[in-house]
Amino acid sequence: MTSQNPAADHLLPVDPQSGSPLDPRRQPGYYPGFSTLDQRAFWDAATRQTVMDRVEQVPAIRFFDGGEAATMQAICNRILPQDDRDPERRIPVLNYLDNRLYSGMSDGYRYEDMPADGDAFRLGIQAIDEISVHLHAKRFTELEMAQQEEVLETIHDAHPPAGGNIWKRMPVDRFWLLLVQDIAAAYYAHPWSWDEIGFGGPAYPRGYVRLENGKAEPWEKDEQRYEWEPPPGARSGGYRPVGGGRPHHAPPGQSGTH
Amino acid sequence: MREPIFGRFDPPRSSDHLLGPVQRLKTPMRHYRESEEVDVCIVGVGSAGGVLLQRLSRAGLRVVGIESGPFWDVERDWVSDEAGSHKLYWNDLRITAGANPITLGENNSGHGVGGGSVHWAAFAPRFHPSDFHIYELDGVGVDWPFRYDVIRPYYEMLEREMPVAGPARFPWGYPHSYPYGPHPSAGVGDVLIKGCTKLGIPVVAGGPVAILSGSYGDRQHCIYRGFCIQGCKVGAKQSTLYSHVPDAVACGAEIRDRSMAARVNLRPDGLVSGVTYFDAAGNERHQRCKLVVISGYAIETPRLLLNSASPGHEKGLANSSDTVGRYLMVQAGNVILGRFPQLIRLYKGPPAHALTEEFYETDPRRDFARGFAVQTVGPLPIAFAKQMMVAKGAWGWGLRKVMMDYNHWATLGLLGELLPWADNRVTIAEERDGHGLPVAKVTYGLKENDKKLIEFGKRKVMEIMSAAGAEEVVQEARYAHLIGGARMGDDPDTSVVDRFGCSHDIPNLFCCDGSILPTQGSANPGLTIQSLAARTANYIIAQSDRLSQGLRGLPEEPPIRHDLSPPGTYQRGIPRIPWPARQS
Amino acid sequence: MASRAAQRRRLLRQALHEETLITQHIREGRFQRSLAVVAALASLMSGGEVAYEHYRGSYGQQIMYTPIILSAGLTATGVAAAFNRLIARRLLPLISLLVLVDGVVGFIFHVRGIARKPGGWRVPVNNMIMGPPVFAPLLFGLSGYLGLIASFLRRENDPAALEPIADRVPDIGLRQGRGLRAALPRLTREGLIFEHHVREGRFQRNIAAVAGISAFFSGCEAAYSHYQNGFQYRWLQSSPLLIAPLLTLTGIGSIWSRRLATTLLPVISALALSDGAMGTFFHARGVLRKPGGLRLPLYNLIYGPPLFAPMLLSASGFLGLLAALLRRPAHT
Repeated sequence: MTSQNPAADHLLPVDPQSGSPLDPRRQPGYYPGFSTLDQRAFWDAATRQTVMDRVEQVPAIRFFDGGEAATMQAICNRILPQDDRDPERRIPVLNYLDNRLYSGMSDGYRYEDMPADGDAFRLGIQAIDEISVHLHAKRFTELEMAQQEEVLETIHDAHPPAGGNIWKRMPVDRFWLLLVQDIAAAYYAHPWSWDEIGFGGPAYPRGYVRLENGKAEPWEKDEQRYEWEPPPGARSGGYRPVGGGRPHHAPPGQSGTH
Repeated sequence: MREPIFGRFDPPRSSDHLLGPVQRLKTPMRHYRESEEVDVCIVGVGSAGGVLLQRLSRAGLRVVGIESGPFWDVERDWVSDEAGSHKLYWNDLRITAGANPITLGENNSGHGVGGGSVHWAAFAPRFHPSDFHIYELDGVGVDWPFRYDVIRPYYEMLEREMPVAGPARFPWGYPHSYPYGPHPSAGVGDVLIKGCTKLGIPVVAGGPVAILSGSYGDRQHCIYRGFCIQGCKVGAKQSTLYSHVPDAVACGAEIRDRSMAARVNLRPDGLVSGVTYFDAAGNERHQRCKLVVISGYAIETPRLLLNSASPGHEKGLANSSDTVGRYLMVQAGNVILGRFPQLIRLYKGPPAHALTEEFYETDPRRDFARGFAVQTVGPLPIAFAKQMMVAKGAWGWGLRKVMMDYNHWATLGLLGELLPWADNRVTIAEERDGHGLPVAKVTYGLKENDKKLIEFGKRKVMEIMSAAGAEEVVQEARYAHLIGGARMGDDPDTSVVDRFGCSHDIPNLFCCDGSILPTQGSANPGLTIQSLAARTANYIIAQSDRLSQGLRGLPEEPPIRHDLSPPGTYQRGIPRIPWPARQS
Repeated sequence: MASRAAQRRRLLRQALHEETLITQHIREGRFQRSLAVVAALASLMSGGEVAYEHYRGSYGQQIMYTPIILSAGLTATGVAAAFNRLIARRLLPLISLLVLVDGVVGFIFHVRGIARKPGGWRVPVNNMIMGPPVFAPLLFGLSGYLGLIASFLRRENDPAALEPIADRVPDIGLRQGRGLRAALPRLTREGLIFEHHVREGRFQRNIAAVAGISAFFSGCEAAYSHYQNGFQYRWLQSSPLLIAPLLTLTGIGSIWSRRLATTLLPVISALALSDGAMGTFFHARGVLRKPGGLRLPLYNLIYGPPLFAPMLLSASGFLGLLAALLRRPAHT
């Protein structure tokens, strides 16, 4: 939705040396030319079907209504900004998120103090608009990029200045983790994101031959790093612990690792 | 090469039920009529249920397994994709609560034939001898009703049936060798080995994992693709779906998949008469049987017992002691992430392939009881992004940026023993699932010893990561595994089942899965769960005359039955090296 | 001083004499005892390698034990054959033949093993690298071949003169016949002639060809395992890929060209021998440099660079050198 900002230059990451914005790319990241989809003939048929459906059959928005969808799109654009991607190569995370909520795909549990996932998102959108109005007297979609990040940062820090009634029904830190993990799960399920981070993608029947020392498979690419920094004014580039002060909270939906 | 020779890989042509690229179900499955009273009905065909089903049917008993999820055809149903593997996990609603609530679903609960063993990382270490009497040794937790020597022959048997690949000498606990050779190390394993070596900490590489490092009949050698917890399409990583269920079906067991058990029914004389369940079409059905074994794991087993409350058993079946659902445990599973200047590519190789148990036992110099293990883990991009969201508080541009460094990060897992507490428990919530059955509510909180252990363990793993050369080390708190909820013991007032898994209250009702473990050690529980299942099966077979008459089995240790292993398992692999036990 | 110089001259003379004697023994096929020991050593090494390679494969099939047992047997027989003529003539060829057959059976199993891996031969590079090493069993058969040749040879202290071929190869009758009945006597006769040539040290062509073929197999193994490593050490890891094909070509070429066998073959063979030795050194270094180093000795031995693989290239070089010293049948 960068179209809302005709002069989108200030949304672009910059070269730290010159400070000038880096042009959007077909494929950001340090593995130019790497394409997992190019390898799909080596995948088994079931996997190929699943991944190609994800790329080609993008689900329509069915859970969020028009207004919610617009706000949610703006939120997605800040939680996982894609301004550095060519517009036709942006990953439709909102559609995947909407599809999960529409089809009731659950993670298998709900915190006692949280509403159902769908309700949590609806309440969250409402609260985010309330914070936007409180801070800048505008709806979230109407804010500048830095202001939007400011609003989201208050939730990240678990100190929302408004929406108190909503946060009584839903702990703010749990909502933050639900929000970020769902958007991240949608983004990093897409093969274009695998190309960006240099992940090999599906690997059956053909597995790996070079296991050690970070070596690239014959069909993978070596890393070609370049320096970049978040757009000037962006607040999400640094790293701060999530607020809420729960020392042992496992985030919702944390994938099993061992 | 843009394509394999002869073009892209097509869907399998054969109409057989495929379990990997070569293995298939060879025999059609037997079907019992509902009116027929079978010998044993097993609820849940997972880690324990699969082994039970195989043992009992091989011994000639008529067995039906009721499984809530599908009987996977792995070539067609499973995918080599993180998001696409969601269906392998228990995704029905559960409520999680308490001071430090547990995340469920994909973190620890399986769905479908094979259950949790379908998506475990397959670390298969044994418990240490000390784990069986921690109350006696350290004054914490509770002692098991038996000691290590009882379970050791079952460990040795299951290590061959799975089989477990590992080092020629596993030095901790009761030293032993493994029937399959170790796996090659990958990026993360190298990090653990380097870090430990630098600090002088002994470490083992290439196992112990229940992943094939060599062919095993129709199952293939691992291809090191890293999708272990997405279900192994290769057939290399053990799940009971691969190792035991095919033999069970060949021996005449029936599996009713997509069937959700609703309650266990009682006869007027107080014995169990059968199981009521909802079939794939949602119809309510009853299966009569002489004996019921519940193998639903730490949450569903207590839930079924509690949901089966009936006159005379108002608090739930087998719950006269009010212990059902209590003493639920998880293990500390903090993930420690380190960024390295060089590339690691942590997605290659099985997530589980190196570990150290040097800190497993209680150390009087530390201010807490019991200990922890350090293991390799290998999160794929989605899991890694979620970890970064917590470990670094990343979002927005920061998340994009750190994710671009995915291949520079290595991840190690803490696996720490948390103690059993009565108020960490499974109860019944007000919400109901799609069948109208009340869902489980899981309450969990950490106590003092647990917190100290996590803090110490976390720092130790971070130290190892730094020693390996990481330039930045962060960590994320989380839990791994589920244990307890229907614990075994000799005292009917403080435990649900006896030392063989038979409920204290009802002689023909058994529980057998992770829920009966009184404590959990710092070892991944899979091997112990399957070993206990083989033992309970032996017991049911040895006492079948009495049990079928509704009498309580005699408290005699059943004989070891090598003849009930799946055929061929006893000749495979490397002869065991008889390492002398360490004096402790 | 003078006496010391004389001593040195005497030593040199002695050494030269020994050298001439060895060369003569080889030329005349009188080196059964030495070759039996060489076969025993080769068998010990390849047996050791198979033992840990099959340990990597977890002895998942019972047949994987056979090369270990057979190579132990060949080692023992080879050593015994150095002391006992009867063992050399009777037992050594039997065990050696079994080793050869086992190598071929192993080759078939390894081909099948690759076929059964996910994707099978349709992703050949992947599955050859990660599956059972396809040529390794044939290289394993090499020690069997050496043992077999040794069993045909004469012993070092046998008389230099040999009865003429006609006495040793009686006319077993090339009767007219069809199929196997016709082929068998012919084969037997060919076999006896070959044996006689070996006894006379006239099997240069044969052993040069085997040197070439084994160099080819070991070159292939080097090619895909160094490819797996991404040719991290470009020149070192390329060297066997250059030398092995050269040895293959000269070895095979020596079947037709006596000149090639006496000029280029020893040079290339010496190169292969030293390249193998250098490879062994670097592989040993690689093993020590693995994470954990000597603290995980067994693990790093089995998953480090294969210690014995370069020695197999050396072995091909050794065969090539041996071939250069041998004679060819009189009529060529």
